[in-house]
Amino acid sequence: MTTTVLPSAARPRARRGGTRMRRRIAPYLFVLPFVAIFLAFSVYPLIFTARLSFTNWHGAGAAEWVGWDNYTYLLGSPAFWSSLGNSAVLWLLIVPIQIVLAVIVAVLLDSAKLRLRGMYRVAFIVPFVTPLVAVAQIWVVLFDQDHGAVNALLGLVGIPDVGWLTTSAWAKPTLALLFLWKTTGFIVIILLSGLQSIDRSMYEAADLDGASPIRQLWSITVPLLRRTIMFAVVLQTLAVFQMFAEPFVVTQGGPYNSTTTAGYYLYNHITRADLGTGAANSFLLVILVMILSLFFVRMLRAKD
Amino acid sequence: MTTTPTVLDGPSGAAPAAPSPADRIPPAPRKRRTRPRIGTQAFLLVLMVAFLAPVVWAIVSAFKPANDIIRDPLGFDPGSFTLDNFTAMFHDVPIAHGFLNTAIVLVVKGAITLFFAPLAAYAFAKYDFIGKNLIFGAVLITLMLPTIVLIIPLLLEMKTFGWVNTYQALILPGSVDAFAIFWMRQVISAVPDELLDAARVDGCGEFGIFWRVVVPVIRPGLAGLAVLTIMNIYNDFVWPVVAASSDRMATLQVVLSTLAQNITGNRIGADYATVTGELLAASSLALIPLLVLFIVLQRHFINGILAGSVKG
Repeated sequence: MTTTVLPSAARPRARRGGTRMRRRIAPYLFVLPFVAIFLAFSVYPLIFTARLSFTNWHGAGAAEWVGWDNYTYLLGSPAFWSSLGNSAVLWLLIVPIQIVLAVIVAVLLDSAKLRLRGMYRVAFIVPFVTPLVAVAQIWVVLFDQDHGAVNALLGLVGIPDVGWLTTSAWAKPTLALLFLWKTTGFIVIILLSGLQSIDRSMYEAADLDGASPIRQLWSITVPLLRRTIMFAVVLQTLAVFQMFAEPFVVTQGGPYNSTTTAGYYLYNHITRADLGTGAANSFLLVILVMILSLFFVRMLRAKD
Repeated sequence: MTTTPTVLDGPSGAAPAAPSPADRIPPAPRKRRTRPRIGTQAFLLVLMVAFLAPVVWAIVSAFKPANDIIRDPLGFDPGSFTLDNFTAMFHDVPIAHGFLNTAIVLVVKGAITLFFAPLAAYAFAKYDFIGKNLIFGAVLITLMLPTIVLIIPLLLEMKTFGWVNTYQALILPGSVDAFAIFWMRQVISAVPDELLDAARVDGCGEFGIFWRVVVPVIRPGLAGLAVLTIMNIYNDFVWPVVAASSDRMATLQVVLSTLAQNITGNRIGADYATVTGELLAASSLALIPLLVLFIVLQRHFINGILAGSVKG
């Protein structure tokens, strides 16, 4: 790897033993603070969770080893599967719409000729910098069935009041809307960074051939942006399946558990001090998320 | 002026073609300048209104009398402008204390992340050492872990240390997070090795190279990391609510999440209008610091993300 012999410049350095020694030790010192924090607050807890998932510990007293019981319990539990189902529905309501919308917006914003470009870039990222808890509270007020601004607005065009947060049919779309609103701007920025690396001359050539903008989007931009798009899909898949604060603040998992997401269901074990089951649940979630990520990475590779 | 050098640049070709009825024919490159442009602007404007509306609505409504917010959520009468929601909220909710706790955590945790993450990332990007690939592989795996996986054992760890409801618990876990390392490694990898070698020949120490050569070069990426770190700490919710939810230690987000209970608890018989008014006042107040920070630093932030994200 680094076997290429550097001309002269490298030689004098080699003779000064102190410098070389320091160069050898330095990286260990540089990573030390990080590694200490990483071991204490990431690696150790992870190993602890792994062990905990095979016990029926409730936070006090002696832990009893129960083998795979927690895992078999969860895999046979309808509540567990319904939490995954809720997250899967939210994924379907969020990720495809978000990616299509973000690609369109990013392509439009990428054009140097677009007027008010700077203003749009700022406006679209504003939701991303707002605190989630504050926004979730605002959502509760906005989507209130009797006094909310959304129903008032719809009432102007004659649409009767919708129970956004009180019916299980609408609670998921309302949460999905919050998530879309909050994170789409960030995905736009990520896609913009991918667009920057596309060679402009390809569009000029397509222009000469008379290819329409939509044709150019589909045949040049999307294929060349595939890696960035996949990165965004993986990122959002992780985020959707971990979604917790949204249902916690807005719906408390209801109505009728319709917004009990995978992340919220996991939290329920903690509040009931059912730590062993909670640990097993978190590992099942990790495995699922990793399988999904690998699936998307595979899809990417297959087309390469 | 009369003749255009190339057919492509000239407006002369577009003018006669414009009024022709052949709109269905795939438009020539020149023609699509005007019409889709209006469509583009309209589309982006509508989207922008949708993106800004909830925030603007909340801030405006916070200055309305509480009863008006629920009676007429869409209207605003400047004559009835009031600060009542804010004064009532300050009375009922310990929000100032929440701001203070968040500020303390922000400064200490932010400083730790912004110093130690680039330092470690520098070692990962520019040195060979034993265990490098192992540690970095572990970093990548942690990136995929849901944060909630670590919550139970972390909480137990805090109990063992006697750290529940302390600043240490809010500050140390996650202070040098995997994402910061991953991102900074990307940024520092782009710094040319020749620059580091030149500094070394000049007799610069290894830390000196980092501090005086690498840090100035990666400043845009660092600014992006700073904004993102501040945002993450300011908005962090799951861990604070579990590890430090006592009244004394509650951060701003924890205070916000318990608003409704707080208001109704402090005022027996508080009606829906009062709660809504105070809730919007508190939420607006919580939005403002980050909005101001972002608007001031937006260029650094957006360019920082652009500089650091994974390239297609």
